[in-house]
Amino acid sequence: MNNGGVNTTTGNETKADAPGGRAKADDFARAVSRVAVAQICEGVGFESVRDSGLDSLSDIAIRYLHDIGKAASFYANISGRTHCNVFDIIRALEDLGNFQGFSGASGVSHCLASSGTVMEILDYAQSAEEVPFNQSIARFPVARDRRLIPSFTQMGETPPGKHVPAWLPALPDPHTYKQTPVWNERKSDLRADKIEQARQRRNAERSLLNLQQRLAQFGSAGASTSNIAQHHQPKELKADEGNPYLTTPLPPGEKEVASVNLPVMLSNGPTKENSLSVLETFAPAIEAVKDRFCEDGDGDDNKVLPDKRPAIHFKFKTGKKVFGQSSDLNLHNKYLSRPVSLIGREEERDDKKRRAEYILRQAMENPQELTQM
Amino acid sequence: MNNHHGQSQQSSESKHDDDAALTDFLASLMEYTPTVPDELVEHYLGKSGFQCPDVRLTRLVAVATQKFVADIASDALQHCKARQASVVKDKRDKQQKDKRLILTMDDLSKALREYGVNVKHQEYFADSPSAGLDTASRDE
Repeated sequence: MNNGGVNTTTGNETKADAPGGRAKADDFARAVSRVAVAQICEGVGFESVRDSGLDSLSDIAIRYLHDIGKAASFYANISGRTHCNVFDIIRALEDLGNFQGFSGASGVSHCLASSGTVMEILDYAQSAEEVPFNQSIARFPVARDRRLIPSFTQMGETPPGKHVPAWLPALPDPHTYKQTPVWNERKSDLRADKIEQARQRRNAERSLLNLQQRLAQFGSAGASTSNIAQHHQPKELKADEGNPYLTTPLPPGEKEVASVNLPVMLSNGPTKENSLSVLETFAPAIEAVKDRFCEDGDGDDNKVLPDKRPAIHFKFKTGKKVFGQSSDLNLHNKYLSRPVSLIGREEERDDKKRRAEYILRQAMENPQELTQM
Repeated sequence: MNNHHGQSQQSSESKHDDDAALTDFLASLMEYTPTVPDELVEHYLGKSGFQCPDVRLTRLVAVATQKFVADIASDALQHCKARQASVVKDKRDKQQKDKRLILTMDDLSKALREYGVNVKHQEYFADSPSAGLDTASRDE
């Protein structure tokens, strides 16, 4: 038997397949089947094979194996078994041999043990030369030994229920699968939230007002140079509020570092007059807001209100008021209706304030436009 | 073999013989090593859902596969020989090197047609980048 031709071809091809792209899961099995088919071809009498022919034939061999397995397991399943026996395989072989035909295929109730296909195979096995596979191959696919999850008994734990046997794998730690309820810690008190919001807003406004006041002071004081203003300001802040964030880290005059000041920005602007004009322009708005702060800052002492703003109340009431009421009663009514009117006025004031702030901010950002106003 | 089925009066007796023959054959498979390796057969049988720990059945499938492939190959060999024989004698001198028996797709597809496999192959098919450059030396 000419051994060389076939084997070298297959050897070349298995090597040539390797670099072409990524190795697939089936590559090894296909390479093995190529070698086996090449050996069979050699046994039949071929001296050499072409790659395409070898590929097709090994594909067909694999397909044949697969089909036998499928048909045999089908016959096993149809008779209520999971494991196949020899008769399932014989039936499968008969199915696949139907195309070629075999002796006894026409018989309906022939004995499987004496099936023509088996006899043909038997004849072949006895007649054909026994050519074992030329290489020893390991079992594949290689299955790595897995580590089993330890059972309850191995872990030394008791199962959570009597219905769980102790030989079953232990449960993982509870924190990995148990869900613990998460409560919303926040108190959903709408009123408190609103009050808190209002308070924060007032704080913000107050700080803005402070800033504006300071600006106004600087403006009216007529700081001749920006440098003086710079040195002057931190001191004043300290005196005014004692705000630790606004104090100078260095003694004044040592270093000119306090550059987070708005006056600087304003003085860096085109002209000093601009900044002054800004303040003058918005003086009424600022005054209005300031006024409001004074009363709001007093806390919840709302009794000040009727004294402060009687005119508005009268405006509200004039339409519906019954004439001849005593001023006391009038005042009393005012108290009663205060919450409603307060809310309305607050919104109104908020709106006004917001507008004033908006305009002010714009003015700060681009003082150029203010001159045109 | 036909007489087993044709004569039903002897069926019980012949079945007994067949059973014995089958059992003997399966037992003989324990020592028989088919060309198709067991591992390959088990791999593909397992992939198709076949479950059986018996190595004899695996061998039986292996032998069946081997027979199938060998039948196809021998048919293709006959085609190959017939093709070579049909070449006119004066041309045969030129194609001396082609006289070797080579399994080609031509012969294979002709053989496979009888087994229910329709293989359509291209007029020219490059097996590899080097195909067609030096065909003779590659197929050595």
